[in-house]
Amino acid sequence: MKKQHLGSVIVLATAAVACGAPSLPPPELVSAREAYTVAANGPASQLVPARLDEAKQALIQAEEAWEDDPKVKDEETRTLAYIAERKARAAAALGGAAKAEKERKKYDDEYIELERKRASMTKEELGKVKSSLQEKEKELQREREARAAAEQKLSAALSSLKEMASVKEEARGMVITLNGAVLFTTGKSELLPLAKQKLDEVAKALGDQEFKKIVIEGHTDSRGTVKDNEKLSLARATSVKNHLVSQGLDGSKIEAVGLAATRPIDTNDTAEGRANNRRVELIVTH
Amino acid sequence: MNRQILTLIGSLAISGIVSACGGAAVPNQEMTSAKAAVSGAEVGGAQDEPQAELRLKHARDRIAEAEKLIEEGENEAAARKLREAQADAELALALSLEAKAIADAERSLKRVKELMEQPQS
Repeated sequence: MKKQHLGSVIVLATAAVACGAPSLPPPELVSAREAYTVAANGPASQLVPARLDEAKQALIQAEEAWEDDPKVKDEETRTLAYIAERKARAAAALGGAAKAEKERKKYDDEYIELERKRASMTKEELGKVKSSLQEKEKELQREREARAAAEQKLSAALSSLKEMASVKEEARGMVITLNGAVLFTTGKSELLPLAKQKLDEVAKALGDQEFKKIVIEGHTDSRGTVKDNEKLSLARATSVKNHLVSQGLDGSKIEAVGLAATRPIDTNDTAEGRANNRRVELIVTH
Repeated sequence: MNRQILTLIGSLAISGIVSACGGAAVPNQEMTSAKAAVSGAEVGGAQDEPQAELRLKHARDRIAEAEKLIEEGENEAAARKLREAQADAELALALSLEAKAIADAERSLKRVKELMEQPQS
């Protein structure tokens, strides 16, 4: 196949020479035509048209020299074609350079834009963090103020309960001790009207506070049976719990227990001591 | 006056004889242009880019050939070599500029990609 092809070329060339028809163009001219075609189809036509035109003029000169007299001007044709080819290649290269330069500018713009975006995003995020911090600080401040106000209310409420209650900070929490004689009539678990009124104030004060849990303990003196005392102490603690819940406190956070005479705070040998032992304690944990 | 005319006629005759002998003038202008193009390519960094460097070598070789031809009185052939040399040197410069522009664009693209992949600080 290859041999056949080569053979036909030789035959054609021989025939052309024999007939006196124009011989084959010099390889320089063939190369120049190819190079120009490549350049004209590349970015040079758009980006460096003057250089491409220069290459075109050089090729035209070479073609004309070739047409004028293929034989005599052979050397000149070769030189012109040689120059035309270099000019075409140079135009293509400069077209490529201009294209690359455009791309570089585009990438550099992208880079600047990206950097700007990142900077503004960082600023935005910083702003968000700052404002959320400020928000949290405000919230904490509000909580502090609310807590201070609630404590003030509680202490005010409790001070009005002075005659019937004492408040102590203990390891198990804040302990509010209510005198049994003020809360209940002997042997009963129903709250006295004055006790209800006072407990309303306690409920209000506690309601403003964030508490985890309130344990209401009912205590009795040592007189009577243990069973009766357990029953009575639990009934009284439950009465206090029910009243506090009726005033809006969360019942699920309040536990009522009857401890009977197991934890005396005074002697059971005197009337005064026994009166002190009959009590209800509210243990508030925050 | 007559002498001047005679001198003019004489010089014309001499130049006519030179032309008739087929001896073209020494291609000084072509030599200058070719050498300037080579310098331009060198300044443009053609020796740093293989394709450009090859063309630069062609240009230098042709200038050397032209110098030899001039010595031999083959001025016309020398002029052709010098024109070719100039075209080679100009091509060398263009190839060098293209290679540099492409390298710059690639660097810029790489920079963008790296910034994109960089985590937000």
